[in-house]
Amino acid sequence: MSGLSSLEKVLGSKELLYTLLLLSVILPILHPLGIPVEISQRTRDVYGYIEKNLRSGCRVYIEVYYEVAARGELEPNLIALTKHLFDKGCKIVYGSLGAFGVVAFSLFKSMASDLFEGKEYGRDYVYLGYIAGGEAASASLAKSIKGTISVDNYGNRLEDLPLMREVDKATDFDLVIIVSSGTDVFSYYVRQWHTPYGVPLLFAALSVIAPSIEPFVGAKQAVGMLVGQRSAAEYEVLVGRLGLGIASMDAQSTSHMLIVAFIIIGNAIYWSKRVSSKKGGSK
Amino acid sequence: MSLVVRRHIPQLIVTVIIILTVAFYYLYINKGIAESFTTADKALSDWAVIITSFALIVGGIDILRFHLVRLRKEGLKQAPFSAVTIGLLVVMVFFALHGWFLSYADPKAGITITTQPQFRWLYLNVYAPADAAMYSILVFYIASASYRAFRVRNPMALLLLVTALIVIFGNTTIGGLIWPGFLPLRDWIMTVPNTAAFRPITIGAGLGTIILGLRLLTWREVSWLGRRE
Amino acid sequence: MISWDLFGAWLCAAMVVWIYSFVYRDNVFYKVAEHMFVGTAAGYSIALALDSLNRVLISPAVRSPQTFLTTSWHYLIPAILGVLMFAKYSRKYYWLARYAVAINIAVGTGLALRTVPIANVVRQITATIVPLWGSDPVKVFNNWVLVLITLGGLTYFLFTIFPRRVEGARASPQHLVYRALYYIGIYGMMVGFGALFANTIMTRVGFLISIYLIYIQPQAWASIIAAVLAAIAIIVGILRKK
Repeated sequence: MSGLSSLEKVLGSKELLYTLLLLSVILPILHPLGIPVEISQRTRDVYGYIEKNLRSGCRVYIEVYYEVAARGELEPNLIALTKHLFDKGCKIVYGSLGAFGVVAFSLFKSMASDLFEGKEYGRDYVYLGYIAGGEAASASLAKSIKGTISVDNYGNRLEDLPLMREVDKATDFDLVIIVSSGTDVFSYYVRQWHTPYGVPLLFAALSVIAPSIEPFVGAKQAVGMLVGQRSAAEYEVLVGRLGLGIASMDAQSTSHMLIVAFIIIGNAIYWSKRVSSKKGGSK
Repeated sequence: MSLVVRRHIPQLIVTVIIILTVAFYYLYINKGIAESFTTADKALSDWAVIITSFALIVGGIDILRFHLVRLRKEGLKQAPFSAVTIGLLVVMVFFALHGWFLSYADPKAGITITTQPQFRWLYLNVYAPADAAMYSILVFYIASASYRAFRVRNPMALLLLVTALIVIFGNTTIGGLIWPGFLPLRDWIMTVPNTAAFRPITIGAGLGTIILGLRLLTWREVSWLGRRE
Repeated sequence: MISWDLFGAWLCAAMVVWIYSFVYRDNVFYKVAEHMFVGTAAGYSIALALDSLNRVLISPAVRSPQTFLTTSWHYLIPAILGVLMFAKYSRKYYWLARYAVAINIAVGTGLALRTVPIANVVRQITATIVPLWGSDPVKVFNNWVLVLITLGGLTYFLFTIFPRRVEGARASPQHLVYRALYYIGIYGMMVGFGALFANTIMTRVGFLISIYLIYIQPQAWASIIAAVLAAIAIIVGILRKK
């Protein structure tokens, strides 16, 4: 009994747990274990949808809506999707309904500078910048982008950008991808882009919010969903550009196993104590 | 001012705009009217976009006011910290205004609010790491809570734990080494029971939004008015 | 000579260390970092709001005033109402801010209200109307799980009036059906929450990995020194506690 209590006390020390957790994340990033990544059917379906339905010259709108903390999970998804779309010859309009999207886009572009080499701003891709207003802004953009904002994030007039002469409203896009760390923004697009105009949506969500937006995917209001770092790693393999997604999977494995071990040990101690106290009581 | 101007007209505006917004979407009389409805509908959305920008500015100024009051009232113990907040807020806005000015004064330079070099430096080197660090410390708490609080006390907790373990093994690559079936099993959990579990919540949220709309429409929802007369 | 880039790398590393020090205990470094974060976040928010306002309202008005006055003159109404939001600081004219809030609330609610019945209710119900008999046993099983858990969840959340059971008497069929669905709902939600818990760990570890991105910069040695500083902070924290 005293042995169990002292084990519980040692493992309950936050310094030990926090240090082990830090090490379980840092060490596999520095020295990868090289555990192979299996590709799930859901990720293959998303890849297959883009392969099958998008052709050269297709126009895609990407909502960049995640804060810097969510970069680890969502930036690899955004990079892999952008690579796939550019490889297919698609043209991309990026926009942000969240103010932090501007920082996220700036960091994304610097991390994936190779993807934008040979791509001309204004012709192959455009970044609209931040548009305040949440759902109202989403509804407004669906009706007319140029009627909502006159210049892009860099001060260029939208009328002067060749890509923006081709697209203006929701129905001009062949696919809308929402890369978001907020649950509400998925609802905005389902309500203001998909429901009235039937535009196909593709979700790239943080792992933690994926379960709550799963009903939209189940009801075919989105063509598919990429969930966090795992999907990013799988998509990186599919598009042939390995990055942070795949590099993080070993760290995810070790840290998860550490947490699982602590949960199991915690429960084992709890039940041992409970059983022994019952035995003691019956005596 | 009378109660009519202070309360009733804003409430009437809410009622009228909600009815108009819904009518613009559902009513179809003829093509010409439908087009004018679309134009009016777009205008209303744009109004909200413009007002939200002002609301965000007011929010920022609220923080400034809060720290100015603290600076004045709470003495030396709090003053340096509030001074740091005020200083950085003012500096950020100053550089943003500089970028804004340059976007008109020298458009060829290509500098705007978000690309103003000093503003960019501040958001990349202060805001960005602080944001990432603030959120990421939660991992320590969830790990600690998992060990201390996640106890299998009844069958429901057991089911929760078993599901969590399957999804954890499905999410990680190490799970595939243990048993390749974890990944398809995770996908099944996410697409079938999880979807079914969250569907009533989605429907409930939808019904909640409808009820909120009806409460606003009938003037029963007054919390948005702020202070009471 | 220290360049701004190098200083930025140091500051980034220091911010992370200072904020992480809170995990062990509240301290002055954390407080400084916290206030720096609040200051920059508030400044950033104001700046981006100005940016949005500029691109929606000011830029079209300045660049082509004639067109603006003929087609978009009505934008001046929300602009005036937006300015009136500052009246909230006045004890006498605070109510002027309500006009802008009224428009925002009404437009937001109206926009949601018109598509929510389809997106959140009708589409979810139609997606749950699935064949419960067929030749594919896996599909049939999945459909049963989907329908029963959805109905169970709805029973748990929405139908809060539970059919009463008279003491001593046998339970009525309605009571039994309600009870069964109620428990299926609870157990179904436990599966959902289990998945949510697992995914929460994934995201939180992902947030921790995002820090790694902050450290990959041209000035790698700055990151290394920062990591050493972090380790020292942890050790000092443990020793102080002991």
